[in-house]
Amino acid sequence: MEQEQIDKEIFRLVEQKPEITNQELARSLAIPENVVKERLQRLSDTRQKILIVDDELDALIALKRALESDNYNVVEAADGLSAIKKVKTEKPDIVLLDLMLPEIDGFEVCNRLKSDPLYKHVPIIMLTAKGEINDKIEGIEMGADDYVVKPFNLNEIKTRIKMVLRRAQD
Amino acid sequence: MFTRQNRSNLYLIAVVAILLIATIIFLGIRSNNEAKNIVEQQFTSQQLLLNQQISRGIEEFLNEKILLIEIIAKQESKVPPDFFKSNFKTIYEESSGFFAIQYVNESGTIVSGYPEENLPLGYNLFENNRSSAFETVQKSKETYISDVVQMFEGELGLFIWVPLFIEGEFKGTILSIIKVSDVTDRFLKNYSSSGHVYLIDKSGIILYDNSNELQLNKNYLNTTDEINLQQGTIFQKQINGTEGIGNFFETSENGDRVKCIVTYSPIRWRNQIWSVGITNPVSNVDSLIHSVYVKQGAFIVLSGIFILTGSMWIILLLSKWNKILEEEVAYKTYEIKQSNELLRSANIKLKEVDQLKTEFVSMVSHELRTPLSAMKTSAEFLKEDNCNSSVKAEMLELIIRNIDRQTRMVGDLLDISRIESGKIRFNPEITDLHEIVNLSVKNVYSLSKEKDITIHVNLPKDLPSVRTDKDKLIQVFVNLLNNAIKFTPTGGNVEISSVEFNNFLEMRIKDTGIGIAPDHVDKIFDKFYQIDSTSTRKVGGSGLGLSIIKGIIEGQGGTIRVESTPHVGTTFIFTLGK
Repeated sequence: MEQEQIDKEIFRLVEQKPEITNQELARSLAIPENVVKERLQRLSDTRQKILIVDDELDALIALKRALESDNYNVVEAADGLSAIKKVKTEKPDIVLLDLMLPEIDGFEVCNRLKSDPLYKHVPIIMLTAKGEINDKIEGIEMGADDYVVKPFNLNEIKTRIKMVLRRAQD
Repeated sequence: MFTRQNRSNLYLIAVVAILLIATIIFLGIRSNNEAKNIVEQQFTSQQLLLNQQISRGIEEFLNEKILLIEIIAKQESKVPPDFFKSNFKTIYEESSGFFAIQYVNESGTIVSGYPEENLPLGYNLFENNRSSAFETVQKSKETYISDVVQMFEGELGLFIWVPLFIEGEFKGTILSIIKVSDVTDRFLKNYSSSGHVYLIDKSGIILYDNSNELQLNKNYLNTTDEINLQQGTIFQKQINGTEGIGNFFETSENGDRVKCIVTYSPIRWRNQIWSVGITNPVSNVDSLIHSVYVKQGAFIVLSGIFILTGSMWIILLLSKWNKILEEEVAYKTYEIKQSNELLRSANIKLKEVDQLKTEFVSMVSHELRTPLSAMKTSAEFLKEDNCNSSVKAEMLELIIRNIDRQTRMVGDLLDISRIESGKIRFNPEITDLHEIVNLSVKNVYSLSKEKDITIHVNLPKDLPSVRTDKDKLIQVFVNLLNNAIKFTPTGGNVEISSVEFNNFLEMRIKDTGIGIAPDHVDKIFDKFYQIDSTSTRKVGGSGLGLSIIKGIIEGQGGTIRVESTPHVGTTFIFTLGK
């Protein structure tokens, strides 16, 4: 059963019977109890969700830990196609998108998301290396809401994330 | 074959050749004419000279005859009793040419003479009405020659009247007769030069003609119809006693008008004037210079042929030259095209190299920046100091890992730079391959253990040692083993084996990994070539390892290649010199 469907079912059952236990949910949905627990935890997570897209695992982990400590819910993707998939399943509040990605690059990801009416409202911050700075214009034209040059200052990127999120909420 | 320019050249040469030939023909004809004129002149003057000689001869002959008679007439003091008969006999016999010599007494009767058979003794002039000449000399007391007359014998004869005066008293005349034929036989009959000779007296009567065209004893001056006007004019000049040259045209047997050259010279004796003429058709002269004509003609024809051949040759030469030039131009054009093509391809290659260099630089900068980026984020996060100890440890580990990665990257970059610039140094020494392989396997032991991969070393005991750079060979083995382990799933196998050849050893490192797709096999030794960046990232390579290995093997005269089947495994094979 698809995650999304599981979430929907859980949501429906809880609505019907607010005092339902995890055990009962697992039984009625025929899935392990720990999955139900995990899904519930996710569903009850009210933190803002950030999707980081970067093929460099170390860079991704460092940023993830830093943002998690700032109480963000961080999900990750290592390439363009899975990034688009994650946007659709996780519905992040903001996407931090590295430019150089395998399969399809950051521009293409941005382009696809911004041309999809369902997801074009999701703000995107481009992470670009300095040599690719000329691309920032292209990035913004493509609909990226902001860009940060790598290697970035941690405070700077945190500030920018806050700014973009506030703008999106307005 | 000919271009427009060639054709105009051809016309020019043809015109020049025609002009040259025309000039030569013109000059040839002119010189022919000049030669003809000169020959004609020479011929004419020679003819005139001959003519004069004949005339003088006849003149002397006739005058001598008269002189002989006159001497007889003057030496006697009285008429001898034999009426000069003995004298006449002496003269007749000693001096040839007389037909008869006779004495006519004062009464006009022929009383004696010699030879008697040629004279009518007793013939009286007065009785026969033939006394006019007799009377003339009686009156003039001068020798008189009567005009040529037909004699009784039917022949033309000359009558020379010499008056005989003894002591002032007329005693008759001595009449001597000379046959014209005697004179002409002596002087003209033997004429053997070209042309015809004729003799004319002062009244225009033809006395002799060896051509038989003119009738003897006929006066042509009064009958202008039978001879042409020019010849008549010449006859007129002749009877006037002049000497000279003239031309007339006569109609030949076949109807052509033939030009004739006439020379004439007078014979003067006493009261008579005769004239000898010689005629020659110009064709006789022409026949003389005919050989000159032939030679001239041959010369002209030869010149023409020579000029034509020459111009043909020049035309051929020109066209050949043109052809050579055209070929040269075509060849040069081809060469220029070739070199242009070469330059273009060189340019493309340079652009490619430049592109590669740019790509390389951007790759390098990316590869160097990526760990920096991760380290910076981690370090700044640590600085904030609001993380628990496990995260702190993770961050520190990340930093150290990226420092190592960057160090490796810098080392690899240095290696590749040395290899590409040819500055890599090898320290070859006798190397035991068992030792090297053991060291290398030890080096990757922990990694292989992690993935539960077994490394089999299948080297013969008596494997010969090789001469190579030890450290670099370890680098090669470690790198290839690392690769093999990285791309082999957990629980797989890696095998090291060798094959010995005459001059070299072939080392094989075989894994049971994911393999390489055929379209990637050729490119795996390229710098930064990554089949799948995610998988590469997962195993943390710099993207330069295989390039460096290739540089090390080939730098020492070996070769390296790869054989691979996707999902079955990959074998790297490289050679080492013994």
